[in-house]
Amino acid sequence: MNETEHHLQAQARFHKLQQLLLEDDRAVSDQIKEEVEGLRKQLVSPEEIQSRVSPFIEDKVKYLQDNFPELFGPVLSSTIRRQIEESQDEMVDALYPIIGKLIRKFVSKEIEHLTERIDQQINQTFSWQAWVRRLKGLFKGESEKDRIIRDLMKAKVEEVFIIDKDSGLLAGSWSRNALADGDMVAGMLTAIKSFVEHAFSKSEQELETIEYNAYKIVLNNFHTYYIAVVISGSVTSEFKLLLTDMLLHFADKYKIATKDPITEDLVDRNSKALKAHLQTIIDEDQ
Amino acid sequence: MKISKKVILLGHFGVGKTSLVKRFVVQKFSEEYHTTIGVKVDKKEVVIGEHLLTMILWDIEGGKSQQHLPPSYFAGAHGIIYVFDLTRPATWETIEEELTYFTERLPKAYKRIIGNKRDLIDEVQLREFQERFKGSYDFLSSAKTGENVEELFLALGLDMLS
Repeated sequence: MNETEHHLQAQARFHKLQQLLLEDDRAVSDQIKEEVEGLRKQLVSPEEIQSRVSPFIEDKVKYLQDNFPELFGPVLSSTIRRQIEESQDEMVDALYPIIGKLIRKFVSKEIEHLTERIDQQINQTFSWQAWVRRLKGLFKGESEKDRIIRDLMKAKVEEVFIIDKDSGLLAGSWSRNALADGDMVAGMLTAIKSFVEHAFSKSEQELETIEYNAYKIVLNNFHTYYIAVVISGSVTSEFKLLLTDMLLHFADKYKIATKDPITEDLVDRNSKALKAHLQTIIDEDQ
Repeated sequence: MKISKKVILLGHFGVGKTSLVKRFVVQKFSEEYHTTIGVKVDKKEVVIGEHLLTMILWDIEGGKSQQHLPPSYFAGAHGIIYVFDLTRPATWETIEEELTYFTERLPKAYKRIIGNKRDLIDEVQLREFQERFKGSYDFLSSAKTGENVEELFLALGLDMLS
């Protein structure tokens, strides 16, 4: 055997050995290649990804939806609060037109309402009652315009409170709609009255009127108590005079007592007297 | 029988007058401090024996001395609750002088002296305080925990009905 033949034989044996040794590795390698190819297809194909990932996303979204307030509530609240604090001017700018529109709508509606009522008044102008009224007005020195406005915004007694001047305790009351807690109103009115009289009064002057919104609280002072009358509408000096006369007469007729002890019986007695005496003024504007 | 009585709360700034009223009226407490300006009026109805007592509570703004207050704030009061802060000696040093002033003006009013903020002192401090000031106060209370709050108002209510 020459050298070349010997070399060829050796090479053939090496190949045989290589085949025997690497056969399993090659099979594994082929399987891996196949799997990698499969995964590559799945990753590249959007349909594949969607079908596999969708269930997880849906679960997560549902969890977030169900637990949104607990998860994000505090963060959102503080963010919104901070945003509002930092952007007050912008907020005002944004809300201003909306508020403006609301006010304009309300005012135009009220004017419309007022116009209708004035129309009604004018329609009645040529009735014989109108001529009688006009003649009365002429004698009293009251113009038709003043009369119409007064009639449209007629004063209405809403609530009356008899309050002990010293303690501020409620000693009697009447209310059209029982809007407020009489005991609390009596206390707070007395506190306001005390504060104003103490802070601004040098002499023996007393607070007589408090105005808020569409209401006027007229305070009629007596020796040991005062009577607070809550009125809506236009309080003319004529109405105020009538009210004062009525309350003076009331105080004189019923000899109102507010001194200790302020019991339920005393409050009931005063309240009944108040209702009976103010019946005319209450009925008139009902 | 239903009957109404006026109760005023006096004492230095920040001793817990408003908190005591809040705890008594609505059973709540807040750590936030808001100074009372002027006066705040509250109401609580309690049943004592056969009486339904309406307590009108005047929570008056605090101060080192309250002798400058508008007289009508305390006029006609049937009960006085003087509150001091157990953690601030300055708030109890003027009690005698202050109460003398108000007693002269309200001779018939019943009084209760209250050491508030009991929750802020420990047992050792409490014993020291009790030994030192025995008999010079009526209740040690805590508006925060509610300790002795109901008790002090009811005790005063009972006095006012006697």
